[in-house]
Amino acid sequence: MLQQDSLTRLRYKYLPDHLAGEILSKRWADNAIPFLVLVIVLIAVGPLLPNFYTLASLSDLGRQMAEFGLVVLALAIVMLSGGIDLSVGSMFAMAALGALLGMNVWELPVFVVLAGVLVMGAFFGFVNGFLVGYLRLRAFLTTLVTLIILRSIYVIVFLDYSTALVTGFADSAIWDFLAFGTLYGFPFTLLVSGLIAVVWHIVLSRMRPGWRLTAVGGARRSAYNAGIDVRRTVCQAYVWSGILCALAGFLYAARLGSAGADTGVGLEVSALTAAVLGGNSLGGGRGSVAKAIIGALLVMIITNSLISFGVPGSITSTVLGIFLIAAVFVDMRWVRNRDEILSKTYVSPTYLKLPDPPRTTDPGSPYRLNDKLRTVEIIGLGQIEGPEDVILDRYDNLYSGTRHGDIVRFFGPDFERHEVFAHIGGHPLGMAFDANDNLLVCIGGMGLYQVAPDKTVTKLTDETNRRWTSVVDDSRLRLADDLDIAPDGRIFFSEATVRYEQEDWATDALESRGNGRIICYDPNSQTTRTVLPNLVFANGITTMYDGQSLLFAESWTCSISRYWFDGPKKGQVEPVLANLPGYPDNINRASDGNYWAALLGMRTPALDLAMTMPDFRRRMARRVAPDFWLYPNINTGCVIKFNDKGEILETLWDLGGQNHPMITSMREHKGWLYLGGVSNNRIGRYRIEGADPNWVGPVSYWGERA
Amino acid sequence: MSWLARAYDAFRGIDPPERVIAALDGPLHPNTELDDAPVLLEEPGIATLCATPEGLFASAGHRLLKLVPEGEELKAEEIATLPAPITFLASDGAGALAIGQDGAGVVIRGGVHDSRTHASLRCPTAGLFLDPDTLIVANGSAEHTAGDWQHDLMRQGRSGSVWYIALSGDPVQLADGLKYPSGLALAGSGRVYVSEAWAHRVIALEASRPSTPEEVLGELPAYPGNILAAADGYWLALFAPRNPLIEFVIEERRYCERMIETVPPEYWIAPQLSSGESFLEPIQGGARKKLNTLKPWSPSWSYGLALHCDDRFRPQASVHSRADGQVHGVTSCAEQGGRILIAATGSGRIVALPRNADIGIGVAP
Repeated sequence: MLQQDSLTRLRYKYLPDHLAGEILSKRWADNAIPFLVLVIVLIAVGPLLPNFYTLASLSDLGRQMAEFGLVVLALAIVMLSGGIDLSVGSMFAMAALGALLGMNVWELPVFVVLAGVLVMGAFFGFVNGFLVGYLRLRAFLTTLVTLIILRSIYVIVFLDYSTALVTGFADSAIWDFLAFGTLYGFPFTLLVSGLIAVVWHIVLSRMRPGWRLTAVGGARRSAYNAGIDVRRTVCQAYVWSGILCALAGFLYAARLGSAGADTGVGLEVSALTAAVLGGNSLGGGRGSVAKAIIGALLVMIITNSLISFGVPGSITSTVLGIFLIAAVFVDMRWVRNRDEILSKTYVSPTYLKLPDPPRTTDPGSPYRLNDKLRTVEIIGLGQIEGPEDVILDRYDNLYSGTRHGDIVRFFGPDFERHEVFAHIGGHPLGMAFDANDNLLVCIGGMGLYQVAPDKTVTKLTDETNRRWTSVVDDSRLRLADDLDIAPDGRIFFSEATVRYEQEDWATDALESRGNGRIICYDPNSQTTRTVLPNLVFANGITTMYDGQSLLFAESWTCSISRYWFDGPKKGQVEPVLANLPGYPDNINRASDGNYWAALLGMRTPALDLAMTMPDFRRRMARRVAPDFWLYPNINTGCVIKFNDKGEILETLWDLGGQNHPMITSMREHKGWLYLGGVSNNRIGRYRIEGADPNWVGPVSYWGERA
Repeated sequence: MSWLARAYDAFRGIDPPERVIAALDGPLHPNTELDDAPVLLEEPGIATLCATPEGLFASAGHRLLKLVPEGEELKAEEIATLPAPITFLASDGAGALAIGQDGAGVVIRGGVHDSRTHASLRCPTAGLFLDPDTLIVANGSAEHTAGDWQHDLMRQGRSGSVWYIALSGDPVQLADGLKYPSGLALAGSGRVYVSEAWAHRVIALEASRPSTPEEVLGELPAYPGNILAAADGYWLALFAPRNPLIEFVIEERRYCERMIETVPPEYWIAPQLSSGESFLEPIQGGARKKLNTLKPWSPSWSYGLALHCDDRFRPQASVHSRADGQVHGVTSCAEQGGRILIAATGSGRIVALPRNADIGIGVAP
């Protein structure tokens, strides 16, 4: 058994299986399957086609890729907006014809021809866009009609000018350079297309027009409700599609110098196959430039290989058709099951071995059971929901956050009246007063905020430095939990987990990995840096009386440690309390130079055992509904007092949680201890025997106000 | 091939049929009848109610009690202390009591067979007189005693048996390989009803010769125990609720065995007769107190439930004490003076239901 345990421990220490879920949660995870197929194809063509990896072959392929890639990109943009453009092939042909007419027949300058061709493409695109976007005709039928009309025009014009096209000759160095020129060994046209692809990648993934396009394709009605001009956005997608197709046709004309009756025939099918193979969803809202490129490469290589094998063109089309069907099938299954796979793989528990808990029933135990907290005075019963933390100012007023995003102020000394001191949103959690009586609040889901005495709310920070090794974006603050202030004004606050939102805190308990951290916000330089990463549900924080160190709680390891931010031991961490009987939450100063800590829940033997069996917990997360998951026993209230040597001095219980199950914080003020609970609907007040009746928190930190 | 199908189901996340828990619905629709009913007696561990012509008997651990009326309520008078915990009482209607002794068999008290003992059955869970000379006894498990019923459940014991005992002759085994038979009642036409706890069902057997069990009521959402044959049908005591996490843990053999080895049974992920008393008990997500309230629909390890069935064992109505209730762990029922008395061993109290009370959904007009 021991051996198996240590094997389990090592396996979970060194195999980071939580990364699988994190990678799957990324948008780019969609590319994995197409990319894999591409790699396999690239490896396979080497031995099959001996000439494939030669310079001439690659150069020719590159030039074809430049044109085809642009067409696929054009189609991908339209698909991203939720539509489809079947007229890409006809537009491509029209552009090629226009370019040849301009160069060979009318002998216009290259840039004039280019401009004319692009304007023509934009116009055709606009016709599509107007019909589909503004008149809201069906994209499929509309572009099918445009395909037929443009193809007819092409055939008519081509027949009229076919002789002139062949006899004419373009005398332009630029035209020739487009056809044959290379830059740093790469075909020039490929570089141009590559540049366009990069620009589009930035637009689609990083800029507002791209996001709007994606939003419209993903959920048209929601996009409309969010204030996006849906019709214009759709229309623009078609215009851009026309322009890109025109450019592709122009490059094609330059490369071949001629056109045929079948130019661009069937191009829409190849482009559609490429776009879908790459992973662009036919339903819209899911697609990228990278997907378009992967798909285009796949189709190019497959068709060229088939041609090299001497396969007739009709069979090539059949093969492409089969690929298209397969890709559509995989795409459909993936879209339907992706969230399910993600939800089943994201939760990734790890090994956590806690020593046997202290026996609270022993008469000599510092945790001796009692019911001292059962008969507390109740404040604000039913008037507040979710006072995670409570704090009192110099003037005996009591503040607490609520789950509605308010900070409620109860007026002292009787706390009968109350007001909404500030409405911020999120769920206000840990609080502290700074030297100027500003109330600093950690807000779950938002970050670190400041409320001045005149009630003005200021955001101090909502992001920190991102670590290079992080897969989930750990720069945003998901669950800022508790804070305290160093004598020089630096604010140290804990973030419980970077992997879950606040309402899913229990899922983090199921994982018990070092997902949390302590972050420092420096108001002088207004910078935010992570100072202690990889803490297991970093929770309560309090500045110690020495002014050089702070105490912080790690809930799921049932421990409290000390971190020096100043002085000779700066940067060091030392354990203070380990193996608590429950899970520590907020820590605060006591009037006698010691510290209070709340235990949000108690350890249970069944859960402690499960902590050493991560695979059991993972299967539980998959197979059992969350309401039936094993939880820490949070239906009991417990507060402990301890000193900086790690000795437990006193324990206060509410067994069975009659008034205060799940105590998450406590604050001493003038001889009373005020209790808060993140899921409770009241604040408790317990008379501490023998406590200093004049002790006030802010005075302990910042001294008497003059 | 069935193991292959099961492996595929496990991969897909589909529970095997015996792990699926039916919803509390229809005649089992939750109510608070047990909590609303008047409490007649509070006595820790009260169990094995048995109405006889001589009066009402019950037990609490080793103690045999006689319950006598005291005003509206009952008073417990101790009449004997037995060497082993009492697991059942059965009356022949003529002055004799059969008493189940956990780990020590069955002993007869009174009547012509006074003091006769059948010590071979180590886990007697229920008994039934066919006539003053013939007793039917359910032996819950061949491996565990009745006090260790959670062990038998979590190890999925299927070594229970039902015996036909002619008090002057040798016992005959009516059925074996049962999953903790825990209740007996006469079914008429020479058959008996047997509740099979870990199979969540009630079966019918021939009363005097071995036969193949026939299921008469299945897919129960709780573990069935004693059966009372009342004037208007049957009352089935269901002593603990089923729970998806428990079903999951039963499938997780490695965790389950380690839990059995290292954790005291009262802190197991397992059904209990009562719960919520210690913070060392595990809790589940839905059982968190929110705004200082334990929701009645919370998952819990214990529950109070008795099911009223007609004479063909079709469910008619049920009485409940939900997660936040105070009448948990119903182990037996008795009928006296037109009332149904219900013994909640977990909460240590007896409550009384008026017969034909308007209880929940499904009561015939």
